Amino acid sequence: MKKTIQNLLLMLIGVALLRITVVSGEYLNYVRPAFRILLIATAVIMLLLGAVGIWIDARTPDQDEQDSRHDSNVNGGGHGYADGLADHDSHHHGPDHGHSHKAGAPRTAWLLFLPVLAIFLIAPPALGSFTASRATARSAPAAAPPSKGYAPLPDGSPVPMSISEYIGRAFAPHDGLPATLPGHRVVLTGFVMPSGQGRWYLARLHIACCAADAFAMQVSVRGAAMPPKDSWVQVTGAWTPPPKTNRTIVQPIAALAVSRIPKPHDPYE
Amino acid sequence: MTDRAAFRTASHDAFGNLGDEDVLPPHDWAPGRPPNLRIRVIWVAALIVTVLALGRLYVAPHVQVQVVQAWTTVFLAICVQALPFLIFGVTLSAAITVFVPPGFWARALPRRPAVAVPVAGAAGAVLPGCECASVPVAGGLMARGVAPAAALAFLLAAPAINPVVLVATAVAFPGRPEMVVARFGASLATSVLAGWVWAAFGRTEWLRIPARPAVGGDRRWDAFRQAIRHDLMHAGGFLVVGGAAAATLNVAVPPGWVSGLAGIPVVSVLVLAVLAVLLSVCSEADAFVASSLTAFPSTAKLAFMVVGPMVDLKLIALQSATFGPRFAVRFIPLTFALAVAVSALAGWTLL
Repeated sequence: MKKTIQNLLLMLIGVALLRITVVSGEYLNYVRPAFRILLIATAVIMLLLGAVGIWIDARTPDQDEQDSRHDSNVNGGGHGYADGLADHDSHHHGPDHGHSHKAGAPRTAWLLFLPVLAIFLIAPPALGSFTASRATARSAPAAAPPSKGYAPLPDGSPVPMSISEYIGRAFAPHDGLPATLPGHRVVLTGFVMPSGQGRWYLARLHIACCAADAFAMQVSVRGAAMPPKDSWVQVTGAWTPPPKTNRTIVQPIAALAVSRIPKPHDPYE
Repeated sequence: MTDRAAFRTASHDAFGNLGDEDVLPPHDWAPGRPPNLRIRVIWVAALIVTVLALGRLYVAPHVQVQVVQAWTTVFLAICVQALPFLIFGVTLSAAITVFVPPGFWARALPRRPAVAVPVAGAAGAVLPGCECASVPVAGGLMARGVAPAAALAFLLAAPAINPVVLVATAVAFPGRPEMVVARFGASLATSVLAGWVWAAFGRTEWLRIPARPAVGGDRRWDAFRQAIRHDLMHAGGFLVVGGAAAATLNVAVPPGWVSGLAGIPVVSVLVLAVLAVLLSVCSEADAFVASSLTAFPSTAKLAFMVVGPMVDLKLIALQSATFGPRFAVRFIPLTFALAVAVSALAGWTLL
């Protein structure tokens, strides 16, 4: 790969990272919110590297890289100016030694265009019911309760909470902690995931670092017709005791109201 | 330092117009090149931007297949998440080779590899990153004269025993500090054992040590910049390969497969060890994945967390790119076997 292309590639990656962080917020489909500052810093470094590279390489097109990195090859004479040609390294020191003497980048560097193309051409959305339904085999345990147990819920209007907190509170009596859900109404936010025979789950994916480690949190919604698959909804309802009480049951919620909402800014919990 | 211009002229004198030097423009063309090159760069850049912008408008809305979307999301997630750490790693690696005096590491580390290996392994505790950062840093250390066995112990230990990862482990296993202790102990022991085995049996010709000639004075910043770009270009493509492989497994492995094997004692450890390799989850997140695998015994979860930061698809790709395939085919099976054995032992005694 020629140095010019390498520099452009670096700048392109920087632009793509800025596009998903500063411009659109799409990075939340892929990683935790805490990555924002890291990604912006990475983008700035990439843009700088590429811009400085283009500036310097354009002024001194056939110097620098060979100079600083290949002093030992005084008798080599094998470095093509065109980095693409340098792939056919003319002074083999053995099959494993050619690489570090090349001025250019290996052909595999072209693969770095793939994530850039994926960002612009496919712009994949957040993981949804496809992944959640696959992830049920390793469905998430309830989040561990806080060390002092769950605080009692306030009386009155329905309490918004995450699905993982709802599941945690629902399992609390199972672990010998006081039950906090009976007698209260809650509001849960998630997407619709069919569970067969017209029934459906309200699901949300939980990620620890990036979407590759996503696992599903789900509750079984009772008493409401299923909205379209993968649509985002808010379910207001109350906990009902599940028929069985083992650790792997999907906790139910008796729905009082189901309302469609736009996709949340951060699609994961 | 060789003066490049003199070198170029000399090689022309010696070889005439034969060989690869043919593709070089004569030296006196240089003044005419910059404007052409700059214009070409602008044209290529404009073309790429146009294609991407049109693609965003006309192609992206039509990609609706769920499998393709899920695959691309996971693929991008791995690439996007790893990039900051890769940048951190290659920058640190470049700084080590360009700004740290060549003799420093020889003085800082014990001379005998048998002693240097555990010291370097324990030093891994201070690099706060995941595994993508440690590969280029280990390469930089080797290029600056650190014994390969010691640099390899550092490579294996750093992503597993640094504070960020240990805190993440403690958060993922609340009320179970023995998981953190077992992870730290088993990871450090595996790294040191692997380093010692390499010191005893490893051969120089298997390992391709990245070449980094020393530079001084004004050239340093330029060498720094070029070293970063060089490492990024070499490691980046392989990171993409690893991300694509992990994404494929994420959407393709039938969900029932894994949990069915959870109950069998020895098999469950091996299953999670292999799963750690295939999923390629970042070491800062793997504790959360391990704790979500509720059907499995603690020893199997420990194996998942010990193997993952040392051997996974993107690491196999990165190590092959940095140290050569002949190194990778020997070192990776060695690490995997040691990691599984040590975590089985640690799980049996500690958990």
